[in-house]
Amino acid sequence: MHIDPLGEISHDPLARIGLIMLSAVTLMAIFAPLLSDYSPHDYTGKIFSPPSMDHLLGTDSMGQDIWARLLWGARTSLLVALAVALLSSALSVLVGASAALIGGLYERFCMRVADAMISLPTIIVMILVAAYLRPSLPLLIVLISAFSWPGGARIVRSLVLSLKERMHINAAQTFGAGKGHIVCTHIIPELSPIIFALMMQDARRAVFMEAGLAFLGVSDPAVISWGKMMHQALAFTYLDVWQWWLVPTGLALSATLVAISFLSFSLETAMDPRMRKEDVARLG
Amino acid sequence: MWGNLVPASFLNYIIALAAIFSLNFVLPRLMPGDPFHAIYGDEALVAMTPEMEAEIIRQFSLDKSWWDQLSAYVMGLLQGDLGFSYYYREQVLQVIMGALPWTLLLTGLALIIATAIGIILGIESGYMRGSFLDRGLVACLMFLGGFPDFFIGILLLLIFAVSLNVLPLCGATSPYARYVGLAYLFDILKHLALPLASMVLVQIGSIFLLTRNTIVTLLGESFILTARAKGCTEARIKYAHAGRNSLLPVTTATGLRIPQLLTGALFIEIVFSYPGVGSLLNTAISARDYPLIQGILLMVTLTVLSANFLVDLLYMRLDPRVRHAH
Repeated sequence: MHIDPLGEISHDPLARIGLIMLSAVTLMAIFAPLLSDYSPHDYTGKIFSPPSMDHLLGTDSMGQDIWARLLWGARTSLLVALAVALLSSALSVLVGASAALIGGLYERFCMRVADAMISLPTIIVMILVAAYLRPSLPLLIVLISAFSWPGGARIVRSLVLSLKERMHINAAQTFGAGKGHIVCTHIIPELSPIIFALMMQDARRAVFMEAGLAFLGVSDPAVISWGKMMHQALAFTYLDVWQWWLVPTGLALSATLVAISFLSFSLETAMDPRMRKEDVARLG
Repeated sequence: MWGNLVPASFLNYIIALAAIFSLNFVLPRLMPGDPFHAIYGDEALVAMTPEMEAEIIRQFSLDKSWWDQLSAYVMGLLQGDLGFSYYYREQVLQVIMGALPWTLLLTGLALIIATAIGIILGIESGYMRGSFLDRGLVACLMFLGGFPDFFIGILLLLIFAVSLNVLPLCGATSPYARYVGLAYLFDILKHLALPLASMVLVQIGSIFLLTRNTIVTLLGESFILTARAKGCTEARIKYAHAGRNSLLPVTTATGLRIPQLLTGALFIEIVFSYPGVGSLLNTAISARDYPLIQGILLMVTLTVLSANFLVDLLYMRLDPRVRHAH
């Protein structure tokens, strides 16, 4: 699969929209202290005040500035997304590639575990674990990663299985290349587009899960999270506050998720040879 | 002989179920303090009488060794005893059984409607690849599919129930209305409309995209060319030749998405206070009713695995190659 996924998707309008949206959220997260005069934890003295020049999105039931909380919530979401994407895809590659290369009983064991985990309702398992452990943010990241590697491990395994039978790897072996050398110079580089696609999927799932768990009320009370903001705001739909509390928060979360979906869809289309072939046929 | 009837994935389901059993058993016992306090939590103990405590400790051998606890736990499960919900003051199994039909109704209808619409739109869109309609549908449904399901639910709730006030805000039936017959059915449907619509809107996207992409690749196959050469009508090629073959990947993907579908339903139920397992889970979490959370996890897993099993059987019916392979 000798394609350059980043080069491919840079011409796709879908990917561009996704990239722009994701960059906007990232900038919000990075420059959060500059974009708001208030700290997200501070009590401003006014409860349920409507949007004004002072408070862009008004204040919530605890008298906290909603705009500030929205900005800091972006930090939580993106931090979880990035950390889970790295950790979970690393686990996928580790398990998938080692299963394919070692084979035998070890491979069967790994794939059985992965298959069994794929058929579980992951988020409810996580709710139970989180309800007992009441996890902090790092623990939450580990928890989400521990449940999101199996799908990726399957994909990596099947790819490595086909890769290791290729001619150029055979050739390298006849020249006396060791296992480590083959993995580093021939297998890992070939895997990189897939790893990138896996990271996108993991990141999307992580943002969703973090928000979902917080929405259900299982989260660290000290962490500012979009899911928790929506959980709090949902109780006040009988007031007008939802217009500047519930809806903007939900839109921020949705925009992040949609942006990652667009990027990941565009990437997957670029990597699917059958979808590509059709494009070429249409042009010719 | 029997190999034909039992899908190979059956073993996976057994392993998955065993994992949930072990998790439910081990997790509370890993917590600091004695197992009784860990299983039921501090909040529950306030609500319990010493007699109830003694009864539960005796029943689950909580003052004995791990081995005795394990055998008591397994014996309890075999008798359908999932523990006692202190919040509802009822057996966990009964509490869940009261809520499960609503969840199954919502999830089942959403699955059927979303799959039907998704497949038809996908076939049409894939057939007209590159057209204005195709591009519009792809962009629109991808956009919707990216939304978290509970936020779609919240938006529909805010638009139709809060702002326009045309559909009920919450629940599954009108309280104290005592409708009978058709009026009762209509009442249920009216309450179901918004939760169902939100689930369908979220689910349609991936079914649509998968069908569309499968159709696009299938249209290049030679059997389509043969069908054209035979003089089949376009509608026949679309639905009987390409469409039928696109059902296979859709079935597989549906099976894989059942866990998400069901958990999505739980979130939607919470938004609309629909009296299914989701609302139960919400109550259990805020009341820290651990046995109830455990029971819900177990029942949802059982539902997911049985649904997966049905999908596997359906796949074998749909694909003669799998049926005759053994």
